[in-house]
Amino acid sequence: MADIQLSVNDLQKTFHPGLFEASIEVLKGLSFEVARGEIFGFLGPNGAGKTTTIKAITEIIYPDAGEITVCGLPHTSLEAKKRIGFMSESPYIYRHLTGREYLWFGGELLGLDRAGLADRISRVLDQVGMSGRANRTMGTYSKGMLQRVALGQALLGEPELLILDEPMSGLDPVGRRDVRDIILNQAAAGVTVFFSTHIIPDVEMICDRVAIIVDGRVRAIGTVSELISDETTGYEATFVGALPADLRTPLEAYHVASGASWVRVTTENRDNLIHEFGDRGIQVVSLDPVRTTLEDLLMRHYEESGS
Amino acid sequence: MRAVRAIATNTFREAVRDRILYLFIGFAVVMVVSSKLFGMLTVGDETKIIKDIGLAAMQFFSMLIAVMMSMILISREVDSRTVFNILAKPVRRWQFILGKYLGLVSIVAANLVLITVVLMLTVLVVAGELDLMLLFAGTMTMLEMMVLAAFATLFAVLTRPILGSLMTLAVFVVGHMSADLWLLTRQLPGAVTKAVISVVYYLLPNLERFNFRTEVVHDLSIPGAAVGWAVLYAAAFVVVVLFLANLRFRGKDLK
Repeated sequence: MADIQLSVNDLQKTFHPGLFEASIEVLKGLSFEVARGEIFGFLGPNGAGKTTTIKAITEIIYPDAGEITVCGLPHTSLEAKKRIGFMSESPYIYRHLTGREYLWFGGELLGLDRAGLADRISRVLDQVGMSGRANRTMGTYSKGMLQRVALGQALLGEPELLILDEPMSGLDPVGRRDVRDIILNQAAAGVTVFFSTHIIPDVEMICDRVAIIVDGRVRAIGTVSELISDETTGYEATFVGALPADLRTPLEAYHVASGASWVRVTTENRDNLIHEFGDRGIQVVSLDPVRTTLEDLLMRHYEESGS
Repeated sequence: MRAVRAIATNTFREAVRDRILYLFIGFAVVMVVSSKLFGMLTVGDETKIIKDIGLAAMQFFSMLIAVMMSMILISREVDSRTVFNILAKPVRRWQFILGKYLGLVSIVAANLVLITVVLMLTVLVVAGELDLMLLFAGTMTMLEMMVLAAFATLFAVLTRPILGSLMTLAVFVVGHMSADLWLLTRQLPGAVTKAVISVVYYLLPNLERFNFRTEVVHDLSIPGAAVGWAVLYAAAFVVVVLFLANLRFRGKDLK
């Protein structure tokens, strides 16, 4: 893979909560690479190690072992950090600052040129749709507004690598769409986007590649289409009427409703079901193949890990 | 140094927008102004009593502000995780510690300036005397608060806010009893007890070095060497304690 923007190699981290508490091994040799300009989804259930990985990349915690490089530089170097835009999970903000002051503070920390900082802040506020509310203190913001301002401070330094921890978590559909659009615009402008989530539709919609992380390890990595095979794992038949109690065909799942009901069978049992429904005079409305989804894949890895 | 300044400014701004600071400052100002009442009720030179009580109030409330605000401003930054966004930027951990410390010191300094001005005005109104030595006393209290704020910063990164506040308070109390502790070592028979007290004596600052209240109140001469040593003493403690705070914070995982 050419031009790696983020490389994480054999990352390990164990937390030692207290003297009489058991250690928690959170990262168990995690490795992956993100190429320039791609939108990379870091998908996993809660507690899989997504946030810990992001904290290690941003030097909020120190890994026990492993190597991280950002744009070819050690992640601890100031040069590498200048190239990162970071938004933490559920934005942590200063309630006493206005949105504009918060971005100014971020600009100062980034060492941005003061002469153009006010203009840049106005541009970013426009970009995240917060221009009209930028002079209110952040203590009065809704969760969606906080998320937008937090995203704004991540974009302020015009980063090469945007790291977003659960950027769409807790947002309403409009907010989620807006954040998705911002991510897509950034990627179109050549920014590499690395974001963690447990919301599968977000990954399916915008990610070029995905890593599935479960129990501190990357279990699968690739494009969404590479990860989801086209193989049919079963069929769902929608029909009219009641489900016979003495149906001979084994069912994987079923749902009975007053209108149309459905049953799911394995691929091998599809023909048996059609014949049996035909024999009993049950009217089949539709018969659809069931394919492996990202959710199935995530659940399979989750179950295999024994977490 | 821009990052340090930005963090210090933000810390200062956070404090001045926090109501609790005004509560302390309000109490301090009331205490200084009401020292006139104590002067009227006490036998002796009214002006001297006003100065004495005023300087004591200045020291006490500055200490309270240093202890409380350091715990609020540093621990809150870590507990509310706003520190994540700072450390993910091109900012070193020592810059964070130094920025927070300088922000805290600015708050204490602003408070001290205010109380000193109020005290000077009170003395001016009561005695018709503009006592510039009160400025000197305020400066020495500032030195003491700088040492105390350094300890508060260390304890804020070392432990939980309440315990940290108590530990800083302990430094203040023991720091003013340092000379008594030293005398105590001469009286005690056990070598181990003597050794323990000696360790405490050398590890903790002798805050009485910054106390020139008697000299200022009674118009006594102040030896220049004592002032010079006090400045050096404060600088040494601030550097060492902040270095220790940085050492602890440098390798700390933030959760």
